[in-house]
Amino acid sequence: MNTSESTARPADIDEVVDWLIERVAEYREIPAADVDPEVPLAELGLDSVYVLSLCGDVEDHYGLVVEPTVAWDHPTIDALAKHLHAELTGGAS
Amino acid sequence: MTSPTTTTTDTRRPTATSLGFPVADRPSPLGELLGDPFAPDNPTGYEAALASDDRGEPFAAAEAVLDRAGLNAEYVPTGLGGRLDGVDNLVRRLRPVFRLDAGLGLGHGLTTLMAALNVWTAGDAAQRERVARLLLDGKRLSVAYHELEHGNDLTNNHLRADTAPHGFTLHGTKRVINNTDRAAGAVVFARTTPWAARATGRDHSLILLDDLAALPGDTFRRLPRLRTSGLAGCRLGGFEFDGCPVPGDALLGGLGEGASVALRSFQVSRCVTAGAGTALLEAALFGVHRFAGERVLYGRPVSALPHARSLLAGAFADLQVAGALARAAARALHLHPAAAGRYAATAKYLVPRLVEDALSDLAVLLGARSYLREGAYAFVGKHLRDIAGLSIGHAGGVSCQLTVLPDLPGLRLTGPPAGPALFDDSPTPPLDPAALRLRGSREDPLLTVLAHVLDAAQPHPGLAPLAPGLRAELDAVLAESAALPPAARGVAADHRALALTERYAWLLAAAACVGTATLAGPPGDTPDPRWLHAVLQRIGRRSGRLPEPRDTGPLDALFGELEHRVAAGLSLDIDPEPVARRPV
Repeated sequence: MNTSESTARPADIDEVVDWLIERVAEYREIPAADVDPEVPLAELGLDSVYVLSLCGDVEDHYGLVVEPTVAWDHPTIDALAKHLHAELTGGAS
Repeated sequence: MTSPTTTTTDTRRPTATSLGFPVADRPSPLGELLGDPFAPDNPTGYEAALASDDRGEPFAAAEAVLDRAGLNAEYVPTGLGGRLDGVDNLVRRLRPVFRLDAGLGLGHGLTTLMAALNVWTAGDAAQRERVARLLLDGKRLSVAYHELEHGNDLTNNHLRADTAPHGFTLHGTKRVINNTDRAAGAVVFARTTPWAARATGRDHSLILLDDLAALPGDTFRRLPRLRTSGLAGCRLGGFEFDGCPVPGDALLGGLGEGASVALRSFQVSRCVTAGAGTALLEAALFGVHRFAGERVLYGRPVSALPHARSLLAGAFADLQVAGALARAAARALHLHPAAAGRYAATAKYLVPRLVEDALSDLAVLLGARSYLREGAYAFVGKHLRDIAGLSIGHAGGVSCQLTVLPDLPGLRLTGPPAGPALFDDSPTPPLDPAALRLRGSREDPLLTVLAHVLDAAQPHPGLAPLAPGLRAELDAVLAESAALPPAARGVAADHRALALTERYAWLLAAAACVGTATLAGPPGDTPDPRWLHAVLQRIGRRSGRLPEPRDTGPLDALFGELEHRVAAGLSLDIDPEPVARRPV
């Protein structure tokens, strides 16, 4: 995994959580309040193709190239946010 | 038509074709061993291939030749004692086999490669060693992904590998699997999590069974053969497991890594299948051209009729386009692995379609003979039956389009374009399966070649008249893709979204042709610009974007190249090589 030019470094994990919630709400066309960050992405209706879109958005927003396997291994918004935050700040996930 | 005076060992063979394509300095070894397929006494010629196909049996005489040549070593990486280095080299070495009989190519072994790729990608040292030995001993592997009920929907595959004290216990059935009755081993795609309504990417694992004969007979069964309308010599069957115990070290890669490993292996096998598929068209084009020279209608050879000439030249253009795309996709596995999955899926979608359409056109020229199952040209009809199987086999067209679609909205043409090495036959860095990605990169080095050439102040002479149309199409595809909402990028994609992947495929084919015409060629030279003009015209027409060209000059130049290559004993591929067959 590597970072490229347009890096937006998040202040904390919550910021990543909020950003991911917004993405999922946008994809599913539902209010952000209805997106539970502790529920598996699959149960939020995000199939493998949404996950690819999400990976692309992560790359565009944070400058972090991620594979869909990241969402398979960190299947909730909370888990994914923790992982991404660690990647972005150089910490361990 | 002149008879060639050179032999395959003659050093006076031209180093470039009349349009300036570099010629390989030696014939493909398997081409030499299989001999002239038209020679009536050749036990590995078309007549014998057709006879086996009609009986629905593997082509035994040719399989024996391939065994003696140690073809399996082509599927084993050089680091493990085999000859697999560049994927494009593998395709070139396999071409003579596929020119003769696609069922032979798949049945002898291409499916062994498809299975083994998973081992080269994810196997540990001991598994790699064992499978390399098995292949080098001439044995076969079956690749067991397919379940009749689920088609290309791998995530819903049902065959289970339940964890057990000794490792795993297999339950379930795989069908339409090649060589199940004669494979020594198999790689099996199995569910290793409990069934749940929502599929995840970690539900399946790959299980390596390297000795099927050792499995307990009361829990494992090879299922009866399924007959097919094409690839008739392939022995497609199935496996049935009923509580079959397998050891823990049969797991290939980690638990739950089945999909991520398979999706990388597919990238390689799609390129090989696409490249091998071009050989069917190459062979049929030579054959139909030969027929058109022999056959006299209305007092002259058919090849003198303008319609016939443009049909042959058009099929030759199709072959050039297919070959350029297949080669760039194969070389991208080594040179641009981050984008290679997109190129592989694009090639696997577009190349067999181009081949099938061109074969249908050629069948028109053969007339009634295309329908005969005997005679010197019956193989053209067989190739037409076989290409459908090659096209569906292992990943159908729509499944490949769905691989490409999610990548399209974010494409960026701001990175560096691919260099000449993507379009020639120079040695490539070794294949690194770990560098292949499940999601293609935003950058698109191949399409960027097209964008750069279109933006050049001094347009390439072969491109000039077609540049505005291509530029408009490139801009439109990028803009329409960017506007696709996430919900429209998956299996719920409508025909317009899917059409974008087709338009992208044609643009990528154009980029491969542009790269070939502007960057590759004999040292210090590039091919005649008329070649590029002709193939881009062809892409415009085949894609439905342009009408039939009025200026037949470029296609006439291609016809001249076709005649020159046939007379000089050179293959009709994008990268010509000497061939054993001779014009009449």
